[in-house]
Amino acid sequence: MGEPGVSNLERRYRVLLKVLPRWYRQDREEEMVGIFLAERDDDLDLEHSWPGWGETGAILGLSVRTHLAAGAVLTGVPAKVVWRGEVVRALGMLGLLLGLFYATAAIVSVVVGFGRPYQAPEPWWRVLELGPVVAFAALLNGRRTLAKVAAAAPVLVSMITLGQPGSVLTWSVFQLPSLVTFVCLCLGFHREAPTPPARRLLWWGGGAALLGVVGGFATGVGLLSVGLITVIVRVVAFVRGDFVLGRALSLFAVLQLVPLLFLVVAGGGVLVPAGGLALLLVLAAVAPVRQRVRA
Amino acid sequence: MSEQTFLVLTALAEEALHGYAIVQAVEQLSEGRMTLRVGTLYGVLDRLVADGLAERDREEVHQGRLRRYYRLTDSGVRALQAEVARLSANVRAASAVLRGRGVQTWASRA
Repeated sequence: MGEPGVSNLERRYRVLLKVLPRWYRQDREEEMVGIFLAERDDDLDLEHSWPGWGETGAILGLSVRTHLAAGAVLTGVPAKVVWRGEVVRALGMLGLLLGLFYATAAIVSVVVGFGRPYQAPEPWWRVLELGPVVAFAALLNGRRTLAKVAAAAPVLVSMITLGQPGSVLTWSVFQLPSLVTFVCLCLGFHREAPTPPARRLLWWGGGAALLGVVGGFATGVGLLSVGLITVIVRVVAFVRGDFVLGRALSLFAVLQLVPLLFLVVAGGGVLVPAGGLALLLVLAAVAPVRQRVRA
Repeated sequence: MSEQTFLVLTALAEEALHGYAIVQAVEQLSEGRMTLRVGTLYGVLDRLVADGLAERDREEVHQGRLRRYYRLTDSGVRALQAEVARLSANVRAASAVLRGRGVQTWASRA
């Protein structure tokens, strides 16, 4: 039995509102319940109705926007909530840069292989590997929906290739960065989130593409460079006290580590560069983050 | 400015309103085209308050339920004014084009 005097419908709405953060509910729950139940005084309705799908969807959307809040948009947001939102958005951007690296490497490897004797024709779906390039450009231009759809392209590619030999575990391990990037973009870049700073990110995008060119000729060297740059920027973030970038890079290091460790374990031996990089990435993942105290 | 934000600002321009009254006013202003969900309403209100276009007014308890009122700030009035001017200019331009094709519009009749 529930609380006396409280209808089933009210109880259901209150359960739905639990998806919102506690700090938000403390301020708004009573007000919101009042709107949900305004002019609903039919006993049958109050006993047997449930929150509608549309209302549920809108509350879920609000939940994402408040859990991953953008600092300037909400007032009274606890600092850690703003950091959480910014870390998710930064991780999404880092994932896109990694995608940019892979896309450029794919283009270069196709171009390098073009015209070689006995070269099998490329399957049509490889064009989807360019998804991160489109997603990156779209996000910098404020076209969020297009960015999210384009970021799903690499996941789609891997689902097509899933029909080919290889276990689901292998697939999941190697698709982890694409999947996490897609989820981070969908959740982090909600309509209240700020547009990322285009000029600064273009430099980063250019750098990722340049590494991709290296990766197109020698995959291992390219991947090692990406890992090393992750570690270096992680150190810089620590020194500068950039908490958001530090946290995002820790998670990004984990994303790179998982497939790397899988390769090392599956390979049955530890290659010296791969093992060394794995060790550095572990340090980047677990190293403390520092917050610069503003005067 | 989204249509939802525009209609919420318009609803608040007349007087301070509580959440449910805003939902009703928006439905009325849009002639039933737009029903604001509670999650959407609070998204819009949060944004307006953070941008300084609206602010919290008084609180009342009605039939045992909390009602919090919101009112437009001076910046909110100016933002609405600017949006009305922008939309009016668009309507005038579109009406002129349609008149050129011999089509009468609401704006040209008014």
